[in-house]
Amino acid sequence: MSKIRILLLILISILIALSSLFLAPKVINPFQLDTTARNILFFIRLPRVTVAFLMGMALGASGAVLQGILRNPLADPYILGISSGASLSAAGVLLSGFYFFGKFTIPLAAFFGASFVSILVGFFGWKRGGLWPERLLLAGVGLSFLFHAFLMLLMSISPGERLGRTIFWIFGDLSVADWSLIPYGFLLIILGFIIFFSRAKALNALILGDELAHSLGFSVHRERLLLFVSISLMTAASVSLGGIIGFVGLLVPHIMRFFIGADSRVLVPTSAIGGGILLCMADLIGRTIMQPVEIPSGILTAIIGSPYFLYLLRRRDVLGK
Amino acid sequence: MSLASNHSILEFDGVSFMYQRDNEFIHNLTFSVDNGEFIGLLGANGSGKSTILKLASGILRPSRGSIRLWEKPLQLYRNKDRAKLLCYLPQLLDMNVLFKVRELVSMGLYPYEIIPEMTVAESLEMVGLMEKSESYLENLSAGERRRAFIAMTLLQGAGLVLLDEPLANLDIKYQIEIIRLLRELRDKKRISIIMALHDINMALQFEKVMLIKEGKILGIGNPEIVLSEDLLKEAFDVSIEIRRHGFEGAYLKGLKS
Repeated sequence: MSKIRILLLILISILIALSSLFLAPKVINPFQLDTTARNILFFIRLPRVTVAFLMGMALGASGAVLQGILRNPLADPYILGISSGASLSAAGVLLSGFYFFGKFTIPLAAFFGASFVSILVGFFGWKRGGLWPERLLLAGVGLSFLFHAFLMLLMSISPGERLGRTIFWIFGDLSVADWSLIPYGFLLIILGFIIFFSRAKALNALILGDELAHSLGFSVHRERLLLFVSISLMTAASVSLGGIIGFVGLLVPHIMRFFIGADSRVLVPTSAIGGGILLCMADLIGRTIMQPVEIPSGILTAIIGSPYFLYLLRRRDVLGK
Repeated sequence: MSLASNHSILEFDGVSFMYQRDNEFIHNLTFSVDNGEFIGLLGANGSGKSTILKLASGILRPSRGSIRLWEKPLQLYRNKDRAKLLCYLPQLLDMNVLFKVRELVSMGLYPYEIIPEMTVAESLEMVGLMEKSESYLENLSAGERRRAFIAMTLLQGAGLVLLDEPLANLDIKYQIEIIRLLRELRDKKRISIIMALHDINMALQFEKVMLIKEGKILGIGNPEIVLSEDLLKEAFDVSIEIRRHGFEGAYLKGLKS
C-alpha cells in the first residue's frame, strides 16, 4: 500500500518537474530546440527547477527530522531561528549593497547567518552533556525574536528602493537560481541526508522518548546532536540557495505522515519528495499566473499547501480512522 | 552469560542517588534479583520507585554504590550490549505517534545487527495482537497499546525487564490481562521482571515484593510477610486494614483462570 503511494509521489514529482521545464511561462518543445530555447532551458529553467527541488527536499526532510527529535508537531526548521539569522545577514547585504563576493555574496551571507544561529541555538539548548528538546525549541524561539527585531530595525531605516528586493528574498526568491551554486547546496544537502540515514533508527527510537531510546541501546545525546547537525546543514543549504520558504518544513511532514505513518525511514525521504513537489509547483505557478510579475514561492507554498493540509485534517480517515 | 544461570542478574550494592546536591533521594540501597523472579516494587507516589528503575536501567547513574548486571558493572556495558540484556519501559506510553503496531514492535530488534530467532509475528502472537499488526497505535485501546510495547520488549529479548507502572490508568480487566501475560512470558522465557506499582491489592498477587519509602527499602520478600499492616501504614502514611480471607477474590480468580 505505502509502496504504491511512494511510487505515485515519485511519478507526480517527475510530472511537475517536466511541466515546469517545458510548459510555462512559454511552451518549449523538447524535440525542436533552437538556441534561445536551449539557453532558456539549460540556463534558466533547469537550474531553477533543480533549486526548487533541492530546497523543497531539504526543508521537507529537515522538518520531519526536527519534529521527531523535538517530539513537537509544531516544529519546523525555521523555528530554530535558522531563518532569522539567514534573513538578517542576507538583508544586510541586500540593503547595504556591498556584494563582496559577487553573486556568491547573498548565499554565503545566508549560509553563515544560518550556521551561526544554529550553533547559538545548540549552545543555548545544551545542558548536562546533551541537547534537550524543550531548551532547543525555546532557544530557537528566543533567538528568532531577537534576530527578527534586528531585521525589522534594519529594514525600517533603509531606503525604499532596496527594500523590495529584500522582501522578495525573505519570501523565497528562486529567480536567482544559477548553476554555480547548485553543487555546493547539493553537497551539503546530501551530507545532511547521509547523516540522517545513518541515524534513522535512532530517530524512530527518539520519537518514543529518551528513556525508551536509551533502553533500545541508543546514546540519546549523541544521536540527537548528530540529527541536529543534519537538520542545520540541510536548512542552511536550502536558505542560501533561495531564501526563506515557509510551510514546507512545517506541514509537508504532516501531510506525508497522514499517508504513510511516522516511520522515519519512510517519512523523511517521502517528506523530501513532497517538499520538492510543493516548492516546484509553487515556483511554476508563481512565475506564470501574474506575468510578468513573479509571486515569491514562499508565499505560494502556503497558499497552495495550507488548504490541502486543512482538508486532510478534516478527513483523518486517510489513516483508516 | 546464559540467561539460565543461577547467579543474581541484578545487584544493587549500597546505591545512593541525588537529583540535587545535598539532597539524597535514594539511600544506600542493597538488593539483588535472581533469575526468573517477578518482583513488585511497591510504594507511595514519590517514594523512589521510578528512580530505582531508572538507576537499574542505566538512565541515571548512582552517586554512590554500584550496580551490577550479570555480575558486570552496569556502566561498563556498551549501549547496544546492555540493550540485549536489559530493557526498560517507562511510565505513560500513551503517546500519539503514528506508528503501526508492527513498526513499533520491530524496533525491539534495533540493538541487533544479526536478527535473532524470534520474529515480529511471534512476539505479536504472544501478546495476542496479531490481527492488529497493521493498526496505528493511536487506534488501539489502552490495554492493547501496553501489550504492543510489551511485545517490543519481548522482541528485544532482554533477560531482565523493568516496567514502570504498566498498569496505571488501566481498567481492571486490562490490569489482570497484563499481569497474566507477563507471568506467562516469565514462565516461557525465563525472564526476570521488576514492576513498579502502587496498588496494594495488585501487589498481594506477586511472589515477591519490595516495599519502598523515601528511597529506602522497608521490606523485601513474600507479600504475606512484607505487606503487613504496620509496614503498609509506614509506607503509605495511612492506616490500612488487610483482610486476607478475600484472597480468592476477583483479582486472584482473574489471574488464575
